[in-house]
Amino acid sequence: MSAPVAEVEALTKSFGGVPAVDDLSFALHGGEIAGFLGPNGAGKSTTLRLLLGLAAPTSGTARVFGRRYADLDEPTRSVGAVLEFADFHPNRTGRNHVRVLALSSGIDEHRVAEVLELVDLSAAADRKVGGYSLGMRQRLGLATALLGDPKLLILDEPINGLDPAGVHWLRAFLRRFADGGGAVLVSSHVLAEVEQSVDRVLIINQGRLLADQSMTEIASGGGSLEQTYLAITQAVAR
Amino acid sequence: MIRQLRSETAKVTTTTTTVGLLAALAGLVVLAVVVHVYALPDDQLANGDSQRQLLTDIGINLGGLFAALIGALSVTTEFRTGTIRPTVLASPRRARVIAAKAVVSAGAGALAVLVSVGTASVAARVTLSVRDLASTPSAGDYVELLAGGAVAGGLLGVIGTAVGAIIRAQVPTFVALFIWLLFIENVLVELPGVHRFVPGALAQGIAGQSREGVLQDIWLAALVLCAYALGALFFSVDATRRRDIA
Repeated sequence: MSAPVAEVEALTKSFGGVPAVDDLSFALHGGEIAGFLGPNGAGKSTTLRLLLGLAAPTSGTARVFGRRYADLDEPTRSVGAVLEFADFHPNRTGRNHVRVLALSSGIDEHRVAEVLELVDLSAAADRKVGGYSLGMRQRLGLATALLGDPKLLILDEPINGLDPAGVHWLRAFLRRFADGGGAVLVSSHVLAEVEQSVDRVLIINQGRLLADQSMTEIASGGGSLEQTYLAITQAVAR
Repeated sequence: MIRQLRSETAKVTTTTTTVGLLAALAGLVVLAVVVHVYALPDDQLANGDSQRQLLTDIGINLGGLFAALIGALSVTTEFRTGTIRPTVLASPRRARVIAAKAVVSAGAGALAVLVSVGTASVAARVTLSVRDLASTPSAGDYVELLAGGAVAGGLLGVIGTAVGAIIRAQVPTFVALFIWLLFIENVLVELPGVHRFVPGALAQGIAGQSREGVLQDIWLAALVLCAYALGALFFSVDATRRRDIA
């Protein structure tokens, strides 16, 4: 198997002595869409932040393409990420939001127009983001993630706010992305959607990995993803 | 670094915040000049030193305050809106991000003081002429006020950026800057030996202000304020590198 695109090893992050992520290990390879699941406060977002270098681990390692995120030469060209759908200046236009990030990554104006077209925001690109709907903000976030034509996408709750057509579009897009060799790590609470979109699920609770199973394994067990998820997380709760 | 500078410049120019602040600054300066010129007696206004002092007190002090606020906004707005996340994902070398913000804030801070002093000068000339009083500052005085003010504004912009990066939250940053520049520095006027080394007084010194409690050596004042700006920038870079981004 090829080298992992993203890998965490014995990753631990504590806040005031309380572990949010506890000795977590997993790896993600190219061509894979992995769902990152867990109850609220399970440590999903913290893990994604550690992987992206926004937070420093208490111990363990988090690497993308074999290096710490901060050590990547051109991170935007390797990794695209959307962590919050509200990470925009409300008085800046959608196009300018993407442009300021393109400038810092040395990406030209042509690509800015291209990614806005890709997420179907060209018509609204010159409107201020403050007037965007939740779904439009999600798509704008995705446009910034795709700016550098990355090989790894890390998406935190990307389905929130998307209408059915948007969800359908995202599902098809992620599949094309993975079929092209890209890897996707996507956290979500919408299990029915995850079931249709991902190849594999990582289920965590209280910062610990509870399950790492392919969708084929789950299906062969006879249950749905929701049943599997509830059985695993409720067993821990008891 | 060039890319980051272009990005930070685009951030400043793609919202109306900076333009709005500069317009508010110009309005405040006009109001302050008009009130002072109408409130002061003729004999005091006819004195050349007092006119220049008026321009420094209003132009440099208000411009310097706004320069620091613009610098602070460059960082705190990113934390308030969450854009700090995409910013550091695109540029994970955080020292470079803060350095680029400091350079752009230096330019914006210099512009703030130029707007402030320029507006004060025009407003003073117009208001004095309405009162049939001559405007006494020389061309050299204006050059000193504008050039010195621009340098001071640039350095205060850097200090504002650093304070914003250390505190992060917008309102507490603004409160800290207001308390320091408008309250503590005014209290320290009673201790001239100390006051001449506070940032606001150093800004006045760089602009050639001649008064007790202000360093009379322009170059020394610039050097000390520059040291403050570099020191603050060092601490802010260190804090930004060490701390997590939520």
